[in-house]
Amino acid sequence: MSLFPGGGVALGKLGLTEEDIMDEIESGKRDLVKELVAMSSREQIQAIRVLPMCLEDKKHIRSQVHDSKLSKHGLQLTCFTDCSEQVSRSFRRCGANVVSARQAMKLWQGTMKEVGGKFGTSVLSYFIFLKWLLMFNVFSFLINFGFVTVPQLIQPPNKTAAVGFRGLELLTGAGYFNQTVLYYGGYSNGTIGNEPVYDMQLAYFFTIAAYLVLCAVSLIYSVARSFQKNFVLSTTGSAWRLLCSWDFSITSEKAIRQRKNNLRVQLKESLSERSQRAHISTSAKLKQFGIHLGTWLISTALALASCAAIYYLGLYNLEVIKDSQDSISLLTEASTLLLPFVVSLINLIIPLLYSLINKTEKYSNPRTQIYVIILRNVFLKMGILGILCYYWMYNVPTTISCWESFIGQDLYRLVIIDFIFSMLESFFGEFLHNVIGTRCLPSLGVPEFDIARNVLDLIYAQTLAWIGIYFSPLLPLIQMIKLFLMFYLKKVSLNQNCQPPRRSGRAAQMQTIFIALLFFPSFVGALSMVAYTVWSLKPSEHCGPFQGLNITFEAVALWMDRQGSVSESMWPVWIYNNVIKSELFFYLISLIILVLIFFFWQITQGRKLLITLLREQIVNEGKDKAFLLDKLQKLQKEKQTTASSQRPYRQIPQSFDRRQEIEPDYDQDFEDLPGRPLPEEDTGPVGPPFTSALIQAMMARRQAEEEEEEGY
Amino acid sequence: MGNKQTIFTDEQLDAYQDCTFFTRKEILRIHGRYHELAPHLVPMDYTNEPDVTLPLALIVNMPELKENPFKNRIVESFSEDGLGNQSFNDFVDMFSVLSEMAPRELKAIYAFKIYDFNTDNYICKEDLEKTLNKLTKEELSAEEVNLVCEKSIVEADLDGDNKLSFADFENMIARAPDFLSTFHIRI
Repeated sequence: MSLFPGGGVALGKLGLTEEDIMDEIESGKRDLVKELVAMSSREQIQAIRVLPMCLEDKKHIRSQVHDSKLSKHGLQLTCFTDCSEQVSRSFRRCGANVVSARQAMKLWQGTMKEVGGKFGTSVLSYFIFLKWLLMFNVFSFLINFGFVTVPQLIQPPNKTAAVGFRGLELLTGAGYFNQTVLYYGGYSNGTIGNEPVYDMQLAYFFTIAAYLVLCAVSLIYSVARSFQKNFVLSTTGSAWRLLCSWDFSITSEKAIRQRKNNLRVQLKESLSERSQRAHISTSAKLKQFGIHLGTWLISTALALASCAAIYYLGLYNLEVIKDSQDSISLLTEASTLLLPFVVSLINLIIPLLYSLINKTEKYSNPRTQIYVIILRNVFLKMGILGILCYYWMYNVPTTISCWESFIGQDLYRLVIIDFIFSMLESFFGEFLHNVIGTRCLPSLGVPEFDIARNVLDLIYAQTLAWIGIYFSPLLPLIQMIKLFLMFYLKKVSLNQNCQPPRRSGRAAQMQTIFIALLFFPSFVGALSMVAYTVWSLKPSEHCGPFQGLNITFEAVALWMDRQGSVSESMWPVWIYNNVIKSELFFYLISLIILVLIFFFWQITQGRKLLITLLREQIVNEGKDKAFLLDKLQKLQKEKQTTASSQRPYRQIPQSFDRRQEIEPDYDQDFEDLPGRPLPEEDTGPVGPPFTSALIQAMMARRQAEEEEEEGY
Repeated sequence: MGNKQTIFTDEQLDAYQDCTFFTRKEILRIHGRYHELAPHLVPMDYTNEPDVTLPLALIVNMPELKENPFKNRIVESFSEDGLGNQSFNDFVDMFSVLSEMAPRELKAIYAFKIYDFNTDNYICKEDLEKTLNKLTKEELSAEEVNLVCEKSIVEADLDGDNKLSFADFENMIARAPDFLSTFHIRI
């Protein structure tokens, strides 16, 4: 009936009778009920759920709380309180039904459980990440489709003679798809409807702007939350490994056996680490430094070479397209696939080279190794995307007439070819590796699911989708389908080919890094590219919703002017003129944010200091406790020798007996001592703290009582 | 609302919902799982709160617990008598605390209970040794076991009494962000 097993027992060790123990526990419960009654309904439920008691006790406390609440409002307006109780209860039931309906609709719950059970939490984090990205794309597709495509479908613009459907379009995205709503060029710059007027220009601009702003907010929030939860100072060490690292959700026997082996190896390593804290000679250190420098140079060189190759290939591609602008033959169209093909090939091969290079290096910390690989891959992928963006921003608009559609098509091709290559990668990387590893070369072993590489691929694909929103509003649909298929593809490949991961990695920290990568180079890059397009580039003359303007943003400026002249709604115009167009406002905001950051940083420093001080205090308290218990033991022994010389007092042995009844296997060290730390009945979710102050108080009280009795 | 089930009364389901992290549907599903562990012992009608407990041996055969090295300790920690005989309330409580919605503090309390093999409210060296043996299938030598346990205590013990109290354990958990996701069993 107590918060901790043996809580009542510990009280008994203090020499209290059983009735006293019961009284203490009951009074603790009464305080708890009083506290709960004072809270609101929702807080009550939350507080009850979090109590560390068995379920019967919780139900008992809950009914007590209800009774006392009813009796409080008892005499006045019983009917009203009854009704309100009913209403709130039915609301809660409705809410719970909604939650359970939502849970039933949750995508892929069963699969996630299966994957988590067989492969552990870190592999599961890849699938959770994939699901999260899918949600972004679903949202994007819904708002693009609803606000931009549907109005356009109602009143389609005049199209030039369309090319017939040839089948190659599914891969290249050009040809038949060129004039459809799939791309920027398929949208008109006019207005739809008569009253009220739906302006396609504004709709296009504001829908995409709103989506990007919401994405940014959501990503920043996720990064901050993840960072707060997972980057707390975590240590490795035996204690952590022993007590906190075991994954309880794994249910497959093979995986558990693997984990046990892994843990054993890690423990052995950490034990022998002490002797291995080697004296590395300076020449060896220099050699290692040389190797690191060499590998970094090689990887940077590879990345730069691939970027240059892609750039020149792009320019060549542009020439070919420009020459055959009017009569696009099948061959020319197929040749546009060359660029995405080369990009995906580079994305496939160079990371493999990177991991090969990485094997030659030696890192003291295995985590540094993973970070280095991730960093190099990020450089490569972002370099490729950067060079593609440059090519799209500088070279394409001057050469092609409807250049936004062209970029949209390029992106479409990149996305599709990337998907095909992912399938091939799964096939070659995992299936063949498995076959070779089991049949031909057992030393190669069964492959492990490479989480870092797969997550980086996902981030790359999502960056493409984000860049493409402006140029091809329906690209999120393609991305959605792609992610959906990827899920099943990866799941099947995982089940058939891979073994559970050997190292129990820091899943939480990796998760934070991946979300941070999704925000920083990926989303911010896509956002900057779209922003640059909107603010600096001249839209194409003859197609798209912004034809004829100097820059895309002019649409908003013109609209503001129109509003201003109408003079019906002044405040949007005022906001536009004084907030968005003025620079002073942005300077002020930046200054305020910088000052706030400085304040928060100072607070953090102060808190770090406080933590070290508190740690020292805990150590001191422990020493105090040991000292006082020692002293008490001595005093008790003295008392017993003096008491045995007088008439022995009956109360003391009796309480010892009582204690023996309750808990026979008592800790031998403190056998003579009338008490061990007493659990404080805390009302709340925390377990009992054992305070030395309380022991002292109880001891002093007992001493006083004994002395009183002896005096009589 | 919805289909009428006769396993629990509405008040009982409300009570379960308020005291655990599960919804009505999940509670009914868990009852189904409890029932299928021993169909002849567990009644389908719980409206009059029958006093039925299932022994440890039946519960640790569930697929979710079967391979877990700590299955016995988990079931014992959530049973009223400390021996592993679980009533339905204990069963639901166990999976509620181990679900993903339980907060870190609550999980830490029960994790401490689980690792405390001799239930003396401290994780002493013997408890750590037993934990280590369960986790490594007893393939470490006695000397290594001793070293690892000593190292763990030195690392985690803050107040210097050579065993880990709940405060020490909680401090260690606070610095292990993975704990919430690893101390989790899905049902």
